[in-house]
Amino acid sequence: MDWLAGAWAVFRNDLRIELRTRYALNALLLFALGALLLILFAVGPQPIPTRVQSAFLWMVILFAAAVGLGRSFVAEERQGTALLLRLNTRPSMVFAGKLLFNLVLVGSLGGVSTGALLLLLDVSVARPGLLATALGMGVLGLAVATTLLGALVARAARRGALLPVLLLPLLTPLLVSSVSATQKAIQGLPWTEAQDELLTLVGFVGATLSAATLLFDYVWAD
Amino acid sequence: MYRSVRALVVALLSGALVAGFLGQIPQLDILEQSARNLYFHVPMWFALMMGTVISAYHSFRYLQSGDRLRDIRAREAAWLALLFGLLGIVTGMVWARFTWYVGSGKWWNFDPKQSMAAVLLLIYGGYFVLRDSVEDPDTRGRVAAVYNLFAVVTMPFLLYILPRQLPSLHPGGEGSPAFTQTDLAPAMRWVFYPSVLGFLGLFWVLYTQRVRLSWIRKRLRREPEL
Repeated sequence: MDWLAGAWAVFRNDLRIELRTRYALNALLLFALGALLLILFAVGPQPIPTRVQSAFLWMVILFAAAVGLGRSFVAEERQGTALLLRLNTRPSMVFAGKLLFNLVLVGSLGGVSTGALLLLLDVSVARPGLLATALGMGVLGLAVATTLLGALVARAARRGALLPVLLLPLLTPLLVSSVSATQKAIQGLPWTEAQDELLTLVGFVGATLSAATLLFDYVWAD
Repeated sequence: MYRSVRALVVALLSGALVAGFLGQIPQLDILEQSARNLYFHVPMWFALMMGTVISAYHSFRYLQSGDRLRDIRAREAAWLALLFGLLGIVTGMVWARFTWYVGSGKWWNFDPKQSMAAVLLLIYGGYFVLRDSVEDPDTRGRVAAVYNLFAVVTMPFLLYILPRQLPSLHPGGEGSPAFTQTDLAPAMRWVFYPSVLGFLGLFWVLYTQRVRLSWIRKRLRREPEL
């Protein structure tokens, strides 16, 4: 099978299963919205500094992703379709397809959470381009890490809270840089002020993406 | 070989302990008597770095060969990295308490290096949780090795890139990571370098012994009559 066609087929398959029930997407979005509302009630009606606003946003995205993602590999193992996938496709196709699917999920999660936070807190973003870049890089890094770690967790017998335990410490660099870049976007600082954060994000996403691409073969192979 | 290294380690660390607690140290601003901690805190982090590198190397070789001994080596090196990291954090906390936060009496404040080091320990904690959650030994080795290598890729960001972007009191934050004159007086080198050698040697002694012990345990489990 052509590599692109194979990866696209894996992605289409996941997307079709997801669209049939919309379980993962709905759970993810409801978790994020619930957490945001809970934070607002807990904080109460008072002005929140921009640093804390961006921290809320990323904590919600990170925790929603850690709780709600990584089901797709577990489902493959549980339904016994993993073997079929191993026989018919190369590991890199599976990785690319699943990564694309996770990207769609995390992307909608990030978009909806950001929109909800901006609306609920009545924040006006001075630099939407910078915010979109920070959000995009953060979402990409998050999708890469959840795809690889999701495949790892699917091999484990006792899954429980394993994904958050593995994911959260690894994503600390991503969190620190994205929060800082988001804060600068809300405050409306020029792009050059946020170059440290953006370069760190680019480096982090590049390094994790390369490592995950290389390592995925070993997780997937039997 | 092993006995001579062990004797050397005992001699070096005893020397470092005696010289560290009883010896004369030059007067440094702010640090004063707490500068003695340099002989213990810094070598512990060197030992941690050695542990992460050795653990990652053996994880890599395990993925290549599937040799069970590589998995044991990776696990024991990670365990020792966790141990030296914990010791490093504790000594660092005490040091910070009596130099940076001496007026405020805080034990923990948001210092980037300190917090990132705590995150590093969480990563190794996750490594052991992951190991315990897999039953099949071959799968466990492979899954743990993949996680270890993936974690190593993110460690430079945690330990070297981010702490340099955030304001910190920790030495080596801006510019050159080497010691400056305010942190290390020339006379202290005569205790500091032997202490570094001693801690790295201690790591080696513990590491080889733990690897042998796990290897024997594994053999015994397979052939109980031995």
